Amino acid sequence: MRRRDALAWLGSAAAWALPARAQSPAMPIIGYLAPESPGPFDSRLKAFRQGLADAGYVEGRNVAVEYRWAEGRYDRLPALAADLASRQVAVLVASGGAPAALAAKSATKTITIVFEMGGDPVALGVVDSLSRPGGNLTGVSSLSVEVSRKRLEFMHDLRPAASSFAVAVNPTSPTSGSQVRNLQTAAEALGIRLHVMNASTAGEFEAMFLAATREQAGGLVFTSDPYFAFRSTQLADLCFRYSMPAVTQSRDFPTAGGLMSYGGDFAQSHRRAGSYAAQVLNGEKPSDLPVQLVTKVELAINLKTAAALSIAIPPSLISGADTVIE
Amino acid sequence: MAGQHLRFHGLFQKYFIVLFLAVVIPLATNGVSEAWFGYRDQRTRLEQLLGVEARSAGAKIQGFVDGITDQLGWLVQLPWTGEPDERRRIDALRLLRQVPAIVSLTLIDGNGRERLYVSRIGLNRNESRVDRSADVAAAGARSAGLWYSKVSYYRDSEPYMTIAMAGNRPSVGLVVAEVNLKLIWDVIAAIRIGQTGHAFVLDELGRLVAHPDISLVLRGADESTLAPFREIREAVRRAGTDLGTSRSAGGIAVAAAAAPVTGPDWTVVVEQPLSEAFRSIYAALWRTGGLLLAGAAFAGLLAYVLAGRMTKPIHLLEKGTERVGAGQFGHRIDIRTGDELQRLAESFNAMAAGLEVSQERQERIAKLKRFLAPQVAELVDRTGDDDVLEGRRAEVVTVFCDLRGFTAFSAKATPEEVMRVLSEYYDGLGRIITRYAATLTSFSGDGLMLLINAPVSVAEPALRAVDLAVEMQVSVQKLIIGWQERGNRIGFGVGLAMGPATVGRIGYESRFDYTAIGSVVNLAARLCASASDREILADATVAEAVKDKRQVHPIGMRLIKGYDEEFLVYRVVFAERPEVS
Repeated sequence: MRRRDALAWLGSAAAWALPARAQSPAMPIIGYLAPESPGPFDSRLKAFRQGLADAGYVEGRNVAVEYRWAEGRYDRLPALAADLASRQVAVLVASGGAPAALAAKSATKTITIVFEMGGDPVALGVVDSLSRPGGNLTGVSSLSVEVSRKRLEFMHDLRPAASSFAVAVNPTSPTSGSQVRNLQTAAEALGIRLHVMNASTAGEFEAMFLAATREQAGGLVFTSDPYFAFRSTQLADLCFRYSMPAVTQSRDFPTAGGLMSYGGDFAQSHRRAGSYAAQVLNGEKPSDLPVQLVTKVELAINLKTAAALSIAIPPSLISGADTVIE
Repeated sequence: MAGQHLRFHGLFQKYFIVLFLAVVIPLATNGVSEAWFGYRDQRTRLEQLLGVEARSAGAKIQGFVDGITDQLGWLVQLPWTGEPDERRRIDALRLLRQVPAIVSLTLIDGNGRERLYVSRIGLNRNESRVDRSADVAAAGARSAGLWYSKVSYYRDSEPYMTIAMAGNRPSVGLVVAEVNLKLIWDVIAAIRIGQTGHAFVLDELGRLVAHPDISLVLRGADESTLAPFREIREAVRRAGTDLGTSRSAGGIAVAAAAAPVTGPDWTVVVEQPLSEAFRSIYAALWRTGGLLLAGAAFAGLLAYVLAGRMTKPIHLLEKGTERVGAGQFGHRIDIRTGDELQRLAESFNAMAAGLEVSQERQERIAKLKRFLAPQVAELVDRTGDDDVLEGRRAEVVTVFCDLRGFTAFSAKATPEEVMRVLSEYYDGLGRIITRYAATLTSFSGDGLMLLINAPVSVAEPALRAVDLAVEMQVSVQKLIIGWQERGNRIGFGVGLAMGPATVGRIGYESRFDYTAIGSVVNLAARLCASASDREILADATVAEAVKDKRQVHPIGMRLIKGYDEEFLVYRVVFAERPEVS
């Protein structure tokens, strides 16, 4: 009697366990929306996966990631976002700037969106407040947009004698207007003039550099914009060819041979985005996850390029630099 | 069945309960008190441990704040001049790089003028000479030397604090630093209390300054988020020297301790889930519980066995009493407990043995009484020696008597009449035989044989035998009158002879008789056979022995069957009426 009971119990336990294993929910899927191609995003992805791993999620083991790359054509972002939304992913990560975040926001009102951008998410209308994002969005801002005026200041420190500087603006960027206004204010404070130059495609870069040279600008200051940030190598080449000192938001720029960069630490912002995505997978509501601002804004200087441009870097700049490439 | 019932609801139950409780109560008392004191000890230990953890965490947070103020100290060492101080600008920029938490620095000279402002986000200002002496931070630093602002939340989310520091003399001016407190996260996240415990920091207003979960901090001064943290701090304050316990934000019961951070007036609270903090005591409680259960089971078993062993002898005694009461005197109780119960059983056995001996004696007497006179039987039994019954040669008087015409009577009379006659006959003779203490050796039908002078010797056996015979004759003759009235023609004759014979017990086991073997027996039997109704015939030996005391008349020589020669036979003379004798 006892033994038969025990056997019956074991049998039912096994019957319960087997389908349970078979029914174990498929790995949650993260939809990853990015404005560029995987190549320039490699370092960002690494940071993002690190953030996931901090919370115990490993791609391919307990979480799957569906990537959608706009390959630099930002007008494709809404369609890609809609595609991910229709796949009912567990969380939608809109990475690499405000355009992706805005595309994701208009694609879904139910799926949680974790954005990673350089601009002010409140000013851009992505969330209502930093502490209480509301809706289905939260994420990380790298502060890069806010510090574009600091780029002008650093350039002014480098070329104190120059009376005017060129400013590269992507007119399609949702933050371009506010950045230009900020820069104009800063220029007034510094007592310099600005030449605002628009470029929204790679084809317009050359003309922009020509114009800056023609205007005898002391240097070229790039506004914060993902389109510029992900084309650091191309821009560094142009700077070298036109002997134009320039500063961008991305560390990739001095690494690729550009002179200088100042902007939020993307490794930190993407990593935080990864850990937020993991927290959403763990069931946390986006309204409980305040928007984070990165704590680290880094200055990188390439001394080789400075030497090639015959620019002496003042000690105040070098002492404040986080990365100095010699 | 009744015994069984008694066993399980009587003594057994009482013994069982008493023995069981005797073991379980001390065991339980010990276990419970041990658990209680263990719990107290663990609580005290935990309180001390958490206190140490809290101080350690407090020291780390203090280290974070002091690290910043130490660095600020470098900027207020040299006096300001009227000229721009490039050296100091570089120092300030280096400090920004050195201390990531500092977002901006404002250097103010001894006149309260802003000389330098450097920021990570905003534009730097050099020699703006704006009057900052009225700023709260500047005023605070001037009066206190080192001044901390309250925590403020940038855009209601990011915690910031302003630290202002004055030099040791007015001319060196002062420095005001804006600090992003989010960077304490690196410190607070690294603090682990036990395995899952952590620390958090509250400012004096009870707002969250630092927590391992940064999203809680970034919610700013949100009352619903802050409530549980304030509650924990309150619980620690209330507990005093005892262990503070409360519920964490996640609703988990936690033990907590706190330590102050001087300067900004913060409190560092460390918390550890109670389930983890008390894991060892919970384990000990389970262990104690398990041991208690095992102990109770063992006590139950022990009590069962002991109660069984204690009640079993009583049960045996009870059974024994019943059996002895039912007459089984041979029953013995086997109890070897080595105590009073064994003594009781032994005396019980002795009593049963006494009863058995007494019963055997009763039986033996009853057996002896069958052929001995009761008083003789009593005597034999009292001496406890029946050697007297062993075979030997003795001078005995043998008396035979029987009814004449009894065979004819019994053939025609009804069985009831026959039995009635025999009953009256033996009734009468039995009383006389008993009175004369004669030994009845055998009877069959209407005849019987008596012995005088065996097994117990008597004085003048011949005389006694003659008197006995006379009395028997008189007694039976009286009965015969009644029988003849009922139409039965029955007579009674007696013969007696004296001489040596072999006397003793013959027979087997429980069926034995006392008898005499010898010619004297034959002679007496023949004399009886030849005696007619109302006649007592005796041989010469008897006649010789009583000739002076009783009247015996020789009636002549008679040829007795089985004998070659003739014997002189005597007739005992007796009065026909009993009153004559």
